[in-house]
Amino acid sequence: MADEEKGAGMAAADGAPRANAGAPDGAAGGPVAPGGSPRADAGAGASAPDGAAGAAGGDFVVFEDASFTYDGAAWVFRDLGLRVGQGQFLCLLGGNGSGKSTLAQCVNALLTPDAGRVLTFGRDTRDADATYFIRSNAGLVFQNPDDQLVASLVENDVAFGPENLGVPAPELARRVADALGEVGLQGFQRHETAALSGGQKQRVAIAGVLAMDPAVLILDEASAMLDPRGRAGLMRVCRELHEAGMTIIMITHYMEEAALAERVVVLDAGRVAMDGAPGEVLTRAAELRALNLDVPFAASLSLALREHGAPIAPCVDDADLERELAALAPAGGGGGAAARGAGAWAAGADGDAPRGGTAGAGAPLLSFEGVWYSYGDPERKERRRRRGGRRAPEAERAAWGTDPEAVWALRDVSLEVREGELLGIAGHTGSGKSTLIQQMNGLSRPTRGRVLLRGEDLADKAVGARARTAVGLVFQYPEHQLFAATVYDDVAFGPRNLGLGPDEVDGRVRRALAAVGMDASAVGAKSPFELSGGQQRRVAFAGVLAMAPEVLVMDEPVARLDPRAREEFLALIRRLHADGLTCVLVSHSMDDLARMADRVLVLNEGAVLTCGTPAEVFADEEALHAVGLGVPAAQALAARLRREGWPLARPLYDEQSLAADLAALIGAGGEARHGR
Amino acid sequence: MGDSAVFGRYWPGESVMHRLDPRVKLVGSLALMAVIFLARGWAGLGVCAAFIVGLYLAAGIPLPQAARSIAPLLFIVVVTALLNVLFVQGGQVYFQWGPLCVSEAGLRQAAFIAVRLVLLLLGVSLLTLTTTTLDITEAFERLLAPLARVGLPAHELGMMMGIALRFLPQFADELRIIRRAQLSRGARLAANPLRGGAASLSALMVPLFASAFRHAETLSAAMEARCYHGGVGRTRLHPLALAPRDAGAAIALAALAACVLAANALLPA
Repeated sequence: MADEEKGAGMAAADGAPRANAGAPDGAAGGPVAPGGSPRADAGAGASAPDGAAGAAGGDFVVFEDASFTYDGAAWVFRDLGLRVGQGQFLCLLGGNGSGKSTLAQCVNALLTPDAGRVLTFGRDTRDADATYFIRSNAGLVFQNPDDQLVASLVENDVAFGPENLGVPAPELARRVADALGEVGLQGFQRHETAALSGGQKQRVAIAGVLAMDPAVLILDEASAMLDPRGRAGLMRVCRELHEAGMTIIMITHYMEEAALAERVVVLDAGRVAMDGAPGEVLTRAAELRALNLDVPFAASLSLALREHGAPIAPCVDDADLERELAALAPAGGGGGAAARGAGAWAAGADGDAPRGGTAGAGAPLLSFEGVWYSYGDPERKERRRRRGGRRAPEAERAAWGTDPEAVWALRDVSLEVREGELLGIAGHTGSGKSTLIQQMNGLSRPTRGRVLLRGEDLADKAVGARARTAVGLVFQYPEHQLFAATVYDDVAFGPRNLGLGPDEVDGRVRRALAAVGMDASAVGAKSPFELSGGQQRRVAFAGVLAMAPEVLVMDEPVARLDPRAREEFLALIRRLHADGLTCVLVSHSMDDLARMADRVLVLNEGAVLTCGTPAEVFADEEALHAVGLGVPAAQALAARLRREGWPLARPLYDEQSLAADLAALIGAGGEARHGR
Repeated sequence: MGDSAVFGRYWPGESVMHRLDPRVKLVGSLALMAVIFLARGWAGLGVCAAFIVGLYLAAGIPLPQAARSIAPLLFIVVVTALLNVLFVQGGQVYFQWGPLCVSEAGLRQAAFIAVRLVLLLLGVSLLTLTTTTLDITEAFERLLAPLARVGLPAHELGMMMGIALRFLPQFADELRIIRRAQLSRGARLAANPLRGGAASLSALMVPLFASAFRHAETLSAAMEARCYHGGVGRTRLHPLALAPRDAGAAIALAALAACVLAANALLPA
């Protein structure tokens, strides 16, 4: 196991090799003797949960009728019973406010139950002597990578935990190296934490926990703020650790992560609502939806197919679903008939007409003409480069893409935002999405090239001023910009800055709040900080809408919302768009873009990779994979099935249309084969 | 943005300057400041300037980056110089308008003070560019350790300082985003934050404080989760130990002080 190296290394140090990694013995050769102080001699290699865990019958974590309340009035959970065995990979699901994070902090003795008991490695978390023993053996990783790194250098941060445990210096260096290796960041010791990507920061945070030699790793929505690439990396690390014997408790909103766990527990209002293998739990679609949770794509599609009468078992994993479907694949002759049938059906259904009617024909509202942008001083760097010998401008241009000294955040971007359309923008973190949208209202000016609003250059002062109001910009986590004493004042900030009269301001505030589904007379006098996260985001949206923009530009508007809030928000955006507002939507979620956008633009390293209708863009799966992006789940499955000979005719599939076409094909194939 | 030197941000490296004991660097930069103040004339300042340039070269930090790292603080230099121009009088008068008078002595004094301030800023900047926040913290803490016996919370002060330094660049980034968001809502912040009134200022500061509290809450939980319990029993990844190069640094500083004193004596301003 992963800890084996460390355990063995440590044991070797005191001359008594002990590599029984599977047992609780070797699982965590923590420096803290049971019940000992954190200063216990690390050289002795006192192993962590041995003995203690044995007493708990192999269950590392036990909640015995545990109840917890923050304020003495509202119970976060009550009489909760839960056992997590050694070596499990448990996924904890639940909507916002279901008590997941509180539960995680109870395991780690950061919080203690107000009634009942929580036993971690058989030790009561209220036992003060066990606190550091528990914390070092049940490592906790938090959601926001920026909130949990204490040091400016990676190695100092990773060493922080074991330093607190009093591990001596030579051992510390080895632990840091081992822990970084386990999360795939070998050699990152001297890197600055501030310069890492979000995904790398979270892996450093995990390394910081691993360096304490834990037996349990708890991740409290650790992937929530990462892009798909960062999330995949995090999940890979967790699976490797688990395969090496680590017990993992993962709190998440992402069903594709839950589908990979061994056991899924769904919390609802502080009680265990569902508990079982992913295959059991995640296929109970109706119950999950009632608890504000997503249903994994494979489960939801297989259930939809069953509704269509296809003989298929409910699955949670895409691979399982493909296997199931393979058994039902339309055979040669029958397939031909099905293809004709499906083709005709698809052509007749015309499911891919442009949305919004006007989308294709709209006049360009915003246009970018060969926009380059750099945060630094590109001219100077370029001169230096030229002096350095590379002369040909074309060669230079080609070199920028891979040049580590590349300074361009945007490279030759040309695009149009057409009146009435919803333009989706995709790209991984650092691809220039946020930089791009800040050019749209003239907040920052292109280093080269032009940005035009209805044909007029934003560089012109008057046009620039007009763009500020015509283009409403909703930043990522816009609720972090709320500031006024009341919701009303916050929303009124923009209109007041425009110098509007009190009546006009009042009208705009009411309309804007109504547009986000809030009532000015009900919430207007409240402090924005009293509201829930989702409500705060609505207020922040209203603050931009009150500027009466012609284009609404949104940077990851549903990031970090739970599934229900997410759906409500997307519906809100769809409604605004249907009412005629031109929208630009930056998103990591290809499913959302496929569902909502008229056109999708993909950025890679500051340049436009591709731009077109979702059907066009998502047809080229490989090009997207090459830049670390995926395609919508239904589209990806359709492409794979097509390669296996399924005659799927539509250019763009969503879940419903894929279920319908597959059911038709299976029906046809089934009849051909079984003569049904 | 990661490729430019910023005041207060660490510039990764393995140079001799980076490897000096942080205690020596902390005390050394105080000593350097004292020496800069000792210099009475241009010759002395010239010696100091040459010494500081040498330090930056030894640290492997390009001089333009050194200049850039102090650029945000140059307004202090400009304001101080202006005050000197206006308040120090003597010698030939170049310009007179009412009570405002620009004279030769004023210009000389202003130039001297400006150069001295730039050198001071470069000296402080070098400390933070070549020393990680945790090392500065550690040095601070260890230097104050004798005072812990009389009840001074040396470790806690050091930790607080380290965390403040670690979050400084982050808050700068967040402030930039908040500013842009409020500008998009028509806030008039660009011209003059004071004239825009309390509303515009609070539009920046309230979200920033809210964010600071949010960070603080999680950070303290995250530190506790990693068994932080104060300085008792803590070990260090890189325990501080004085090396021959630290003695070298002390000797170099002493030599600098001697040169400056000699310059004062031999070439009076």
